[in-house]
Amino acid sequence: MLLLVWPPKCEKHAMLINFPYIKRDTPIHRLDPRAKLLLLFLYGLAAAQTSNFWFILAGFIGAAYYYGLARLKWSETKRVWYFIIALNVMLVVFNYFLSAGSVVQGVDLTHQHILFSIPFIGFSSKPPFIVPTPLIFSAESITFMITQGLRNFGIAFLAIPIPFTTNPGHMGIAFKGMGVPDKFSYAIDLSFRFLPSVTRDFGTTLDAQRARGFEIDKLSGGIFSKIAKLAPMVVPVVIGSVVGAEDIINAMELRCFGVGKRTWLVLLHPRPVDRVVITLTIVGFFAVTLLNILGNFYTTGFLHVLHTQGIPQFLFP
Amino acid sequence: MAVTEEERSPAKIWGIGVRQIVYMALGAALYGGLSWVTNIIQIPSAGNVSFRPAIVIPLFFGAVFGPWVGLVTGGLGNFLGDYISGYGIYWNWDVGNALIGFIAGLAVLTTFGRYNNTRNIIVAEVFAAIGVVVGIGFAAYTDIWISKMSFATATIGELVPAAGSDLINGLILLPILLIAYNAAMRRYGRG
Repeated sequence: MLLLVWPPKCEKHAMLINFPYIKRDTPIHRLDPRAKLLLLFLYGLAAAQTSNFWFILAGFIGAAYYYGLARLKWSETKRVWYFIIALNVMLVVFNYFLSAGSVVQGVDLTHQHILFSIPFIGFSSKPPFIVPTPLIFSAESITFMITQGLRNFGIAFLAIPIPFTTNPGHMGIAFKGMGVPDKFSYAIDLSFRFLPSVTRDFGTTLDAQRARGFEIDKLSGGIFSKIAKLAPMVVPVVIGSVVGAEDIINAMELRCFGVGKRTWLVLLHPRPVDRVVITLTIVGFFAVTLLNILGNFYTTGFLHVLHTQGIPQFLFP
Repeated sequence: MAVTEEERSPAKIWGIGVRQIVYMALGAALYGGLSWVTNIIQIPSAGNVSFRPAIVIPLFFGAVFGPWVGLVTGGLGNFLGDYISGYGIYWNWDVGNALIGFIAGLAVLTTFGRYNNTRNIIVAEVFAAIGVVVGIGFAAYTDIWISKMSFATATIGELVPAAGSDLINGLILLPILLIAYNAAMRRYGRG
């Protein structure tokens, strides 16, 4: 059972939080956090609009170049990458098998270029709902699998550098700069400041409960019983934090928080390169969206390109 | 203790003041911090979903402090959990978690944040269950568009294991937390 290994081994070292941020002087470290967030968000939305192999490949290469500019070492990110690689491989393969190879959305699969097929099982609308079905490996479905993997890794190349290259203290003001209301931006800022203390409380509580004989590593019983037995660890931290927050609320009210316009200790000034990245990101996103919309009206030619798979010729039998 | 007219007012439920901001930040930090520890453990064949007893945090903060606090606790907490784990940002799962907290927080419309009787705790449980299904459903089914997954993969690979796990974790731990909170408030003369 999963809970038998709870909590993870890292808990034995210390329940002290370490932000993944690594201070370094690289173009990505210097990039405005708003540009990084916008790039990730709009790239994801643009990549979602097509399954064209060449477009996704171009995006993947661009994202890999961006990741390379961050100069993150393998030793610093390997734990994250192991997870991302395992997740993506599982997702793509699982998706392929569950869909019996018919996974290409928005593409006509009536004339697939079948390479080979293997006996498999599939879903049916009639009882017994699971029936023997051949698992088809076609040029279309294999291209789709590769495209899906490239898309997910492209997003990961843009997502992973954010925590590693962005000062956590700049996240609140970055969201403020993107139009998030002051109060919510301050909540973001405050939550980053609370994190070290709540994880420290979590560690202290765990140690205190262990001293009383609570063995979290050796929880017994069924899954319901095990979850209920986590209460001695979760409840004191949550209730203690909620009760303790009253002091913070009183202090903020005494200082008239929220009465006037809030000023920030840190201000983000976008440089020309930040403006260029933001502008290119927005222009690129709108160009892909426009091409996607126009592709609905044109059935051939470049304007329809996002609605095709762009299968490499060498894959055709 | 009876609920006062002030506590029933829409401003009290939907307003965002200093109290709500602090609880939003605290809830998010607790959710992110507890998720950080449990993020390392993955449910087999559950996609990007981790086994997290911490799901009770947005349910609890929503049920006690209202839908906006629940929304930010869920969304920002999930963001923080992924951020400190180094995974980056996956916005549809942040929005899904925000929905969990928001819907769980709608219980306040009938309970007014008081959980001193069984009926109110059951109401909180029902809203929490709806929140988990809707929130995880949103995250899983938006992956059909974002990651080009099939409906079957989104359902079997993400929705069922994630919502199932969150329901079990959340619905067991939520009443325990609500009862403990009620007792703590009584002790401090606020219940």
